[in-house]
Amino acid sequence: MNRRHRRKTRWQSKTALALVSALLLVLTGCTSAVQQARSENANAAVREGGTLRAATNLDLVPATFYQGQSVVLGLVYDRLIDYHSDSLTPQPSLATGWQVSHDGRTATLELREDVQFHDGRPFTSADVEFSLRTYADPAHVGQLARTAQAISGYDTSAPHRIVLTLAHPVSNLFDLFSIVPIIDSATAAQLFTGEKYNGTGAFKFTNWTKGTKVAFAANPDYWDGKPRLDGVDVQIVPDAQTRTAQIRSGQLDLVLNPTIRDADQLGTTPGFEAIPTTGTSLSTYLGTNVTAPGLADVRVRKAIALAVDRDRIQAEVFQGHGQTGNLPWPEYSPAFDATKNKTYAKDPAAAKALLNEAGPVPELPLAYSAGDPAGERIAQIVQADLAEVGITVTLEPKESTLFLKDLVAGTYGGLWVTLHTFAQFNPATLTVSAYPFNSDKNSSNFIDAEYKAHAEAAWKTSDPTSPEARAAYVALNDDLLEHLFLIELVSDTGRFVTSSKVHDISWTHLGNLDLSQTYLTEG
Amino acid sequence: MVRYTVRRVPSAVAILVVASVVIFTLLRLIPGDPAIFLAGPDASPAAIVGIREQLGLNGSQVAQYFTWLGGVLTFELGRSVVLGGQIETLIGAAAINTAVLALTALVLAVLIAFVLSTAVVIFERRWLTSLVTGFSALAVAIPNFVTGVVLLMLFGVLWMVLPAGGVPSAGLAAKPDITAQYLLLPAVVLALPSAAALTRFLTESLRSQLELPYVTTARALGIGQGRIVFTQVLRNALPPTVTVLGLQVGQLLGGAVIVEAIFAWPGLGHLLERAISTRDYPVVQILLLLSVAVFVVVQLLSDVIHASLDPRVRLEGAR
Repeated sequence: MNRRHRRKTRWQSKTALALVSALLLVLTGCTSAVQQARSENANAAVREGGTLRAATNLDLVPATFYQGQSVVLGLVYDRLIDYHSDSLTPQPSLATGWQVSHDGRTATLELREDVQFHDGRPFTSADVEFSLRTYADPAHVGQLARTAQAISGYDTSAPHRIVLTLAHPVSNLFDLFSIVPIIDSATAAQLFTGEKYNGTGAFKFTNWTKGTKVAFAANPDYWDGKPRLDGVDVQIVPDAQTRTAQIRSGQLDLVLNPTIRDADQLGTTPGFEAIPTTGTSLSTYLGTNVTAPGLADVRVRKAIALAVDRDRIQAEVFQGHGQTGNLPWPEYSPAFDATKNKTYAKDPAAAKALLNEAGPVPELPLAYSAGDPAGERIAQIVQADLAEVGITVTLEPKESTLFLKDLVAGTYGGLWVTLHTFAQFNPATLTVSAYPFNSDKNSSNFIDAEYKAHAEAAWKTSDPTSPEARAAYVALNDDLLEHLFLIELVSDTGRFVTSSKVHDISWTHLGNLDLSQTYLTEG
Repeated sequence: MVRYTVRRVPSAVAILVVASVVIFTLLRLIPGDPAIFLAGPDASPAAIVGIREQLGLNGSQVAQYFTWLGGVLTFELGRSVVLGGQIETLIGAAAINTAVLALTALVLAVLIAFVLSTAVVIFERRWLTSLVTGFSALAVAIPNFVTGVVLLMLFGVLWMVLPAGGVPSAGLAAKPDITAQYLLLPAVVLALPSAAALTRFLTESLRSQLELPYVTTARALGIGQGRIVFTQVLRNALPPTVTVLGLQVGQLLGGAVIVEAIFAWPGLGHLLERAISTRDYPVVQILLLLSVAVFVVVQLLSDVIHASLDPRVRLEGAR
């Protein structure tokens, strides 16, 4: 072996040794990101406190504060009243007592005296007035803006009592009180730009890194007692598979909107829990444009309602969750009617008979939001069911904003599949405030004087459980079943997935997150 | 040289102006607008009209264009209509994240290509060549959303040795060792197609060089294959590969859109995807105009460098 070769061998050995040493140094010297992510709560898990790590696919959209901001609305803000998940009986929150006059034109609310905003300012009746007035502003697209606009007078002369005067009685006044967040007038402008969220809720907004994370800290002065968590970090993770992977790997404690399949899989995995958000409502329906060729004939719409296999959709798309039915209402709703809810079950023979009477039906387009696997699967099932009775359907996946555009403009060429919510509130909230049901203008282009009269009658009454209101609900149910401008398919709730160390998680009737009582353990 | 550069500037400005018109017009031709997204599925047409008014979308298109152009020229880029923040802040934060990801992926791609290509030509084993060829074919053929999900499930969920997406809670700069672990999976996924392309190109380039007479001479002198490759052949094989590397940078930035979505990495791709789907006109316009501006500047620089290296180009332009 010559000197050059020995020198080369020594050089190679030294290089190899240096590389191995560097690798070992990296492996032993660096902290594991996985261990760090899993141990960030290790100490907090065995004592009071800790930061709950959640993920959602939706970032904040400050301009539409009243819609889709379920994390901020649930954690930072309180409402005047709350509902239990399976009831529409008002429960105290910032309002401790209430009285509505017999004619339904005056509502008096007694307010808590020990409440302050996160910046330390005391909460008064003026804040309730400001919150309701802001919500009523059409520019902010509050879902129940029409109900808020019915309030014609505010008496805030007493700091902890407010007297509301209404232009006419409304049956969903307490729905409004359960939905409108009490906001701070001094920082309202910053609220709609996402710079500052100053509420009275259990958690203070601390930081928003756009597209990445929203952070909250416990409010030590919360009127219902200091939360047991120190804080909440909500990460923005657009991909459902990534959210599932992160909770499986221990990087997350809570996934806010898992797919049904992911929730089912995690729910049966030790260490995780799938929690249906009982009391919320996500109803899937088949919309019909009643001015489209073929669909103008109500017999064709009835044939479609009889041709669709709701049980198959429930079994295959909803994995057995939810309820099939023909009406939107949950069982606790005053408009619920168990018999009428079963008016249309799959009956291809009856559907064919109706179609024979109606004559030939042109090919019908069926739109759904592209990128929504559930919507796509439902559309395919509907297509197959309608083919069975002789109706040809062409599927039209549409980009989500285009889908919304057609929904609002009522420009679908035939059928569409999507969701509606708000059936979990008093019936008038759905028929007055949910656009697909709106009697003045809706996605189906269904305008009917009787339906409008029944919707108004159900709304303009002070007691949503009065005989008059119930009579209006019966008429509304008949309208919905007779005209079938919306064909209900399956009603389901939302759901969360948590690791088993998260306890006492809660939510509002609207599905907003409530972590005021939540705590962590090692379990 | 200065005169040559100055002569090139008007055409660069013209390209930017035309691009701004095209971007603005094309965005408005896409059905739907931010008001529809913001209003949501239960909004009434009246509510949508109100939001359009708020966002200044009810004015004439020409007026909107000049308002936007004026803002760009005075560096008042405006606010995102959906997220609400200043656009320069949004883009600045996202650009740093994308740059970190793309740069890491680029380094990984180069390292992988370098190791595999040199190993193939030095050891000259059939199994190794087949292995590398197979890797290259697979890495190019399999889309990065597939490799992303597979690696995420393996390393993030099954073996739990790397984070399953996201960014460190304390930020990228706080703990570099933690950041490196968050970065590794997305960077590898992003790097694989480029690594495959570079490997194939570098391997072929090395093989071509190894057939040249100077290599035969070196072998005749008893110099080993490895030493020939590292001391003589590589130097000559690299320049054409570097040209390909430049093209790969664009591919990496394009691929980042998908990879950032899978790994919840908050970069420019993530921002652009979201801005397009929500019709966030101000953000999309600036991001697209920025990409055109970068291209124009790079083109201008390369023309200037070319001219400085080749006097004929300068003189031809002067005629």
